[in-house]
Amino acid sequence: MKFILRSAFGMILTACAIAPAMSDTVIVYSHRQPYLIEPLLDAFTEKTGIKTKVLYSDKGLAQRLKSEGRNSPADLVLTVDIARLSTYDRMGLLAETSSDVLEANIPAHLRSDDNTWFGLSKRSRIIVTSKKRVPLGEIMRVEDLAKPEWNGRICTRPGSHVYNRALMASLIAHHGEDEAKRWATNLVNNLARKPQGNDRAQVKAIFEGVCDVAIINNYYYGKMKYSDETAQHDWAKAINIVFPNQGEEDRGAHINLSGAGIAKYSKNKEAALRLLEFLSAPEAQSLYAEINFEYPVNPLGEVSDELKSWGAFKEDQLPIETIAKLSKPAQFIINETGW
Amino acid sequence: MERRAGFVSNMVSVRTLGASSLGIALCAPVLAIFYLSLSTNDGLWPHLIETVIPRYFGTTLILMLGVGVLSLLLGVGTAWIISRYEFRYGAVLDVLLTVPIACPAYLVAYAYTDFFEYAGPLQSGLRDLMGWSSPQDYAFPEIRSMGGAIFVLSFVLYPYVFLMARSAFQMLPSSFYDVGALSSRNVFWTIALPLSRPAIIAGLALILMEVISDFGTVEFFAVETLTLGIFNVWLGMDSIGGAAQIATSTFSLIILLLLLERHARGRRRFHDTARKHTFMGRRPVVGWRAFMFQLACFVPFGVGFLVPVSILAANAAVVQSAAVWGDVALIALRTLMLGLAGAALIGLTGLAMASVSNKRDLPALGVLAQVSSAGYAVPGTMLAIGVLGFIGWLDGFFAQFGLYLSGTIAVVLFAYIVRFQAVGFGAVASGLSKLSPSTVQASRSLGMGPYETTRRITLPLIAKPLAVGFVLAFVDISKELPMTLLLRPFDFETLATYAYQFAHSEQMELAAVPALVIIAIGVVPALLLNHFSKR
Repeated sequence: MKFILRSAFGMILTACAIAPAMSDTVIVYSHRQPYLIEPLLDAFTEKTGIKTKVLYSDKGLAQRLKSEGRNSPADLVLTVDIARLSTYDRMGLLAETSSDVLEANIPAHLRSDDNTWFGLSKRSRIIVTSKKRVPLGEIMRVEDLAKPEWNGRICTRPGSHVYNRALMASLIAHHGEDEAKRWATNLVNNLARKPQGNDRAQVKAIFEGVCDVAIINNYYYGKMKYSDETAQHDWAKAINIVFPNQGEEDRGAHINLSGAGIAKYSKNKEAALRLLEFLSAPEAQSLYAEINFEYPVNPLGEVSDELKSWGAFKEDQLPIETIAKLSKPAQFIINETGW
Repeated sequence: MERRAGFVSNMVSVRTLGASSLGIALCAPVLAIFYLSLSTNDGLWPHLIETVIPRYFGTTLILMLGVGVLSLLLGVGTAWIISRYEFRYGAVLDVLLTVPIACPAYLVAYAYTDFFEYAGPLQSGLRDLMGWSSPQDYAFPEIRSMGGAIFVLSFVLYPYVFLMARSAFQMLPSSFYDVGALSSRNVFWTIALPLSRPAIIAGLALILMEVISDFGTVEFFAVETLTLGIFNVWLGMDSIGGAAQIATSTFSLIILLLLLERHARGRRRFHDTARKHTFMGRRPVVGWRAFMFQLACFVPFGVGFLVPVSILAANAAVVQSAAVWGDVALIALRTLMLGLAGAALIGLTGLAMASVSNKRDLPALGVLAQVSSAGYAVPGTMLAIGVLGFIGWLDGFFAQFGLYLSGTIAVVLFAYIVRFQAVGFGAVASGLSKLSPSTVQASRSLGMGPYETTRRITLPLIAKPLAVGFVLAFVDISKELPMTLLLRPFDFETLATYAYQFAHSEQMELAAVPALVIIAIGVVPALLLNHFSKR
């Protein structure tokens, strides 16, 4: 007992004594799993000699940053979607950053007006269909998911997930709330099962024959195709991918962004900016495509051969900030329709 | 004499002051959530009440009811069999019945989904056997459902009731049973159950609090409880205030539980005064009845432990990479240290709060002690946000001295105390309540001071419940996920956070390795628990 008590006190004392003062290290608060961003951060360290440390959590990092206030050790915030980035912005947690490099690397509509956050990679929300049961060309638009012929044949993850919420927001932007709500109501009626699981689980359900059509982020297709878990190869083989809304007059496929911003009270803004610039430069941008099957925001970033093989597609040009602003009415509709 | 009394009351007031400041610190994160809930008024409630709140409340109540009933059946039933009858392998089964407590519910949920779903071994086997080829050919219950959640939560949580019920049954003097038997009444329903009710309900209250705060299982099974609603409002509507409001409204459920427990205990308080007890003996059974008992005791162990662990082991066996196993070994060591340190602190704080909780001249302290263990029923992530609020405020205050807590292990340990105080406090308080006041009074009247009495009389007499609290807290900490995830220092993994990043992206095989180690770390304490809570 005494031993345990002593070691407990020892731990507390050492814990308090370690002051977060490491100027040669960039501290990253990340909503992305560490193993996904490690290759990029390793490449950065190799090139610049600047080390990085990561704190990963899928929720609550904004609250942590806020409660840490001026004392926060965070230098850079990485998120997987636009709604979270704008939350950080709205809470006043991001620093304004002026950088010619970033402005050159990232098109204006993929960063904030006040230069607080910057998009780093694009992902498209796509439709996938069963190779066996759905002939190519049978479904072309997101709007089609609400049609009666898909009754009992669609699988999705819960509507409240950020990716579905952003898609919902884009439908509100294009069609207005009433029409968007009608769409959601019909979609929910068409579901083969209660919304559950993540995007991969929907593809698995198609593979299993539970449903014929699903909505997923494009990169999951690549991840399953090349997964360490061989069972997932079969899931990927069972589907065709469809970039929706590609007709000549149509608006293009819905796009979301992963992105980053420099923490307002970062003690190490210079190094954080170097990391941000590095992530937006062609070399790292190609890595996003290579490793994670995402599309570069930098036009000079190279799209990997695998991504190219999926085909080029037209992107919805809706300003990213509009999606963030419509997030709340989107969640209202999701609650009302029980998606 | 006068001076001595004055001296003692000074000493006591120092103790009272210390305990109250500790109590207030432990309440602070929960208060921070209340504060957050008052800070916003964005007009969400009409919408929420109209759309989702009734559903969330209803779902939560059904889940509580289902898990409550099933875990009572499992826990009380097996406890009665074990303490009343003697049969072959009874002693082994007694031990095995405790081990499901080592399994985190969300990991068991992952394992069973893997096993029961369409592509899993069970349905594949059935299809091969019956010649079915698609889901339309047959009906199979959906594991990702309310039923699935009740099933999984009950089979990992029932040991709380089992342990409490068993020790209560074994503590009843045999004379009670003799009286019951003589008047040819059913001993279980008329004697054992009514007399053990307080203990059983205390175990049930712990289970139901776990159910209210569970996030991992209900998220995975898409069961829309209030906890899921909290996240819906916080992340979906970008309203942390609204989320805090739902969190505080779940307190109504918790207060209900606390009242239930109070009511169950009632005003009945009996201290044994007899010098020597004889306890109920076990009745030997053989033949088919013995077999039925063996089966009844094996099933909860099989479903709550053996099957899920085998599924995880099959998954983990695929992972050949020595690097993964090496990482896991280091992380396991850290998790162990963290668990020991946290449990020791919880033992101390539990002791401190319990020792002042029944002071008759200061009833407010009793209330504070109760409230300071409410963290157990708040969803972890929400409580972590409360901790962040409190620590942020402290840091703002102490920054002038260059002291800085946020992002240190100290905060993680503090969060564990806030979250699991109920476990330590509950164990110590129940131990103290069994202590006859006359023992303490005798010691004092024979001239021992309050500290002397505590050290030489009280502590040795409550050593066992204290050990139970320590071990329970250790098990809880070593599988804790949401608070550790949000409050930890950089590059700091515990087994739970390490497993989470893989499980989160459906990489079951990689997640299975740390998951198995979490369970392995929990098994030894589970066995100790079984040992400590015997008579």
